Amino acid sequence: MYHFDWAVLWQYLWPPTAFQDPLIRTGLIVTVVVSVVAQALGVILGLFAALGKMSKFVPFRVLAEAYIWYFRGTPLLVQMALMFFGLGVTHIYDFPDILVCAPAAGAPLLTVSAHSVQVLCNATTVDSPLILIIGAIQAGTLALGINEGAYMAEIVRAGIESIDPGQMEAAKSLGMTFAMAMRRIVLPQAAKVIVPPLGNEFNNMMKTTSLMEYISAGELFFAFNQINTRLFQPFELFIAASMYYLVLTTIWSVIQVRIEASLGERKGMERGPGMFERIFSGSFGKGAH
Amino acid sequence: MSTAQPTPRTKLDDSSIIVKADRVNKYFGRLHVLQDINMEVHKNEVVVILGPSGSGKSTFLRCINHIEKINSGHIYVNGHMIGYLERNGRLIEDNDRNIARQRAEIGMVFQRFNLFPHLTALENVIEAPVLVRRTPDEQARAEGMRLLERVGLADKHDKFPNQLSGGQQQRVAIARALAMKPSLMLFDEPTSALDPEMIGEVLDVMKELAHEMTMVVVSHEMGFARAAAHRLIFMDAGRIVEEGTPDTFFDHPREDRTRLFLSQILH
Repeated sequence: MYHFDWAVLWQYLWPPTAFQDPLIRTGLIVTVVVSVVAQALGVILGLFAALGKMSKFVPFRVLAEAYIWYFRGTPLLVQMALMFFGLGVTHIYDFPDILVCAPAAGAPLLTVSAHSVQVLCNATTVDSPLILIIGAIQAGTLALGINEGAYMAEIVRAGIESIDPGQMEAAKSLGMTFAMAMRRIVLPQAAKVIVPPLGNEFNNMMKTTSLMEYISAGELFFAFNQINTRLFQPFELFIAASMYYLVLTTIWSVIQVRIEASLGERKGMERGPGMFERIFSGSFGKGAH
Repeated sequence: MSTAQPTPRTKLDDSSIIVKADRVNKYFGRLHVLQDINMEVHKNEVVVILGPSGSGKSTFLRCINHIEKINSGHIYVNGHMIGYLERNGRLIEDNDRNIARQRAEIGMVFQRFNLFPHLTALENVIEAPVLVRRTPDEQARAEGMRLLERVGLADKHDKFPNQLSGGQQQRVAIARALAMKPSLMLFDEPTSALDPEMIGEVLDVMKELAHEMTMVVVSHEMGFARAAAHRLIFMDAGRIVEEGTPDTFFDHPREDRTRLFLSQILH
């Protein structure tokens, strides 16, 4: 019979006690920062891929199509492994040193020079210090961002195509170049169409960062997994872990409603679904790509 | 097909010719929408193009600022060929920047207004001068307000397009085109999408403009054509069927096709 330890659940659920563990403190920061950076990367790549896909110039179109095809057609987890282990072992990109910091508050960070996967694996078996593998965070962020770009491409393209072609014609007739017209006329209007699905994508992104556990990137799920190897209380710990994600996505959905409302205000558009519907409609329960 | 045609040039010498179309052909797929169109518009001339729907008149107008491409022939605006460069006797599409530079000299007013909905009336008017001409913001605003005043909408300068009536939107669109100080104005059925009671206010603005600007207008407004046009062009099935002054055109049309059209449209 499994002994459900309420004390463990409470200890790791309640931030003041949970944050005493540097794994969780760092994990939360890594999850949020990686989500934001990867999403931003995804938006930029998505914009270029969308423009490439709509380009008259065939090589651009082929490149964009190939990018979208590959990154939507293969698992993110595999892409992540490819990015981390593949780039590392071929020295296409040498990931930086592993950071090791002592658990005591205020203890100095020290750096261990390590490039190979071997050292990485050895390091994670040490249970006392906090080990942050910067390279894994970089690789994870890159994989998440590039993967996201392939999905954002479709969202951005749909946004651009939702704008009346007459807008581009009018802008061109006034002497604007394609780039000017995109930047000043089409994209600002398309933003209203792009932002709601973009918000949902970011919601997914925060949850999908948990896949980085596989490459030991030190985010939230990794943190809870590490603690579990010590305590072996998976039920309590993963309930606690899930609650952290729930708090993050809920905070985001509040921010999202605000952003969408402010976008709609200037043109006097009607408001979208309220916060309550949004949280409980299941619209962000779609899971990882 | 080619008779003794002078070699096409990329420049015209006669500066009084604002628009010159030289044997312009265009296809939509297999449909030959423009068939050997030749025409000239001189400085300060107001030309109204009439014709049934599908006659190619709007398409031709859109070719003048290269919003539509042409398949053969030449169109010159302000003495320069628009949209294309000529290399070894072949037409090659010009680059975006050069086309944009030429379009900046050509104002266009659309049937559906095409105002920028995320910008106020004044912002619509000053957007291109600030972005394209790099006019200082304050100067652009002052000039923009003057233009809005001219079309009778100074008090609506901070309204968004969806807060304006159709007639008001079209007047803002005219002000927006004028803000670039174009040497030519193109009007593509500017009153077709308007409720009848709003047509007058737009035509009044256009009539006033007709005194001082070179204009090519595609329209069904016979009253405007009679009052403001120097020359009428009647198009049907991709060809220019007849052209003439308003008096001869309306009162003594030569072609049967023109007579039929006029009888249908004037009842």
